[in-house]
This record gives sequence, C-alpha cells and structure tokens, in this order.
Amino acid sequence: MSDSAARSNSDDAWDDLLGQLAAQPKVQPRPFFYTRVQARLAPEAPAASPPLVLGWLRRPAYAVLLGALVLMLSGDGSALRPAAGAVHYNANPR
Amino acid sequence: MAHGLLNETRLSALSAADAALVAQLQQGSEVAFRTLVARFQDRVYQTAFSLLRSPEEAEDVAQEVFVEVYQTIGRFRGEAALSTWLYRLATSRALKNRQRARAKKRFAFFTSLLGFDNETLYEPPDHGHPQALLEGQQQLQLLLAHVARLPDQQQVAFTLRHEQELSYEEIAAVLETTVPAVESLLFRARQTLRKHVHPLLRHV
Repeated sequence: MSDSAARSNSDDAWDDLLGQLAAQPKVQPRPFFYTRVQARLAPEAPAASPPLVLGWLRRPAYAVLLGALVLMLSGDGSALRPAAGAVHYNANPR
Repeated sequence: MAHGLLNETRLSALSAADAALVAQLQQGSEVAFRTLVARFQDRVYQTAFSLLRSPEEAEDVAQEVFVEVYQTIGRFRGEAALSTWLYRLATSRALKNRQRARAKKRFAFFTSLLGFDNETLYEPPDHGHPQALLEGQQQLQLLLAHVARLPDQQQVAFTLRHEQELSYEEIAAVLETTVPAVESLLFRARQTLRKHVHPLLRHV
C-alpha cells in the first residue's frame, strides 16, 4: 500500500472516530433538576438580608475578649490598689 | 435579582427571544428562570460532563452555573448570546472544579506519604463514558482518556467542537478569542491526539 493510501485510510479512520464521538448518546441531568437548583438557591436568600450589626460578637474569641474587657473595666479600680499598697509597705520597713 | 430594563443597543448579540427572556429575568420572574433552566440544562450539564466525566460533578457544576446566573443576571449586558454566556460559565466552573480535585488529590498523596492519615486517596473520576464502556468502544474510550489530558483551552475547544458541535465562531465567543486562535487550538489538540490514538477503519 502506498503512503498516500495509508494516510487516506488513517484520515478516514480518524474522521470515523470523531463521528462516533459526536454521535454518542447525549447525557442528561437526573429528573427534577430545576427543583434541586431551587433548593440550592433557598439557603442563599437569608444571605441577601442585611448583615447583623454585631454579627462579629457571635465569634467565640471576640465574645471572650469582650467579656474579659468588661470584667477588667467594671471594677472600682481595686486592681490598681495592691500595687500602691505594696509600694507603701516597702517604703516603711520595721 | 436586579431590576431594570436593558438598553436595546446592548442586546445586539441576543436574539429577540433571548432578549425578552433576559428582561424578564432581570425583573425577577421565576417563570422566566424556570424557562431558562429548562432550555439550557442539558447543554450546560453535557458540557460539564464532557470536561469532568463524572455525573455527580457535572450535576454540581450545572447547579452552580444556574445559581450564578440567578445571582448575576442583573449585570448581564447582552454583549454575548445567552448560550455563549452559559457555555462560558459551565466551562470555567468545570475547569475550576477539576483544578480543585487535582489539588486535593496531590494533597492527599503527600499526606499519605507523610503518614498523616490512613484515609484512602482521592479517587479520580471515571473517564469511561457510558457509551465507551460498551464492547467495541475501546478506541473511543482511549480517545476520551487522551482528551482529558489535553491543556485546558485545547480540551474546551475540542469538546465544544466535537461533542457539543459548536461552530468555530461560537467557540471563539465562548473562549473570548478569535476564530484563527480556535483553529490553532483544535489543530494542536488533534495533532496531540493523533500521536496517541491510532484508530482502525471500521468496515461496516
């Protein structure tokens, strides 16, 4: 067989294979595809509502930090007294 | 969903039917959204399936595409046909999905080498097309396996041409490139494939 005939056969076989690819049965999504898209859209709706003003407070780290800050600042200043007392004590040894 | 009417000059790429559908979608019509999904779900799913070869992943990508359409239709200006936009979303999401899967596979491989966990490795999608799994379809299966290994752009161009049967102009619009660039992508894809796949002529 000549080179040109072999090439022609190869081209024909290639075209035939590409024809098979195009002719294969088309796949389709499972039934009720629209329902599943809608279900996926449903949780998106609340996200569209305006964000919570203090939404960041829901994060535990921020909540704990804020709690500690409130505790520290809510005292009557006693946290500073021992230091003052200690200075006074050291200043008057026996 | 955003409201408002589109300027007619911006809808030049859309057919009259598509322009009307887009206008209804932008006004928040659920009926229009249902029509859109019914009209395009097969093409979007088939495109995703062609690139991923997994029914589950194709379903996931197809759903993501329609969710994105619903959320961003207000910004759609009609520079491209509706089908072009959907093909673009489907191909880009499918490629992203595949990149994520490959990254996950690499990560699982390294963690298994280091002995961090004993979980099974990520299983690659089955590249066997339902038709290709039939007897006498080994050549088609081999072709699909090599198509999956082509560079992304070549694979998208090849798939849109030979599975979705889009014209060169349509493929150029989806890939946001020129017709000669598409011809070049297809030429290189076929060259690569012909190096690996040597089909025999069927005698019918």
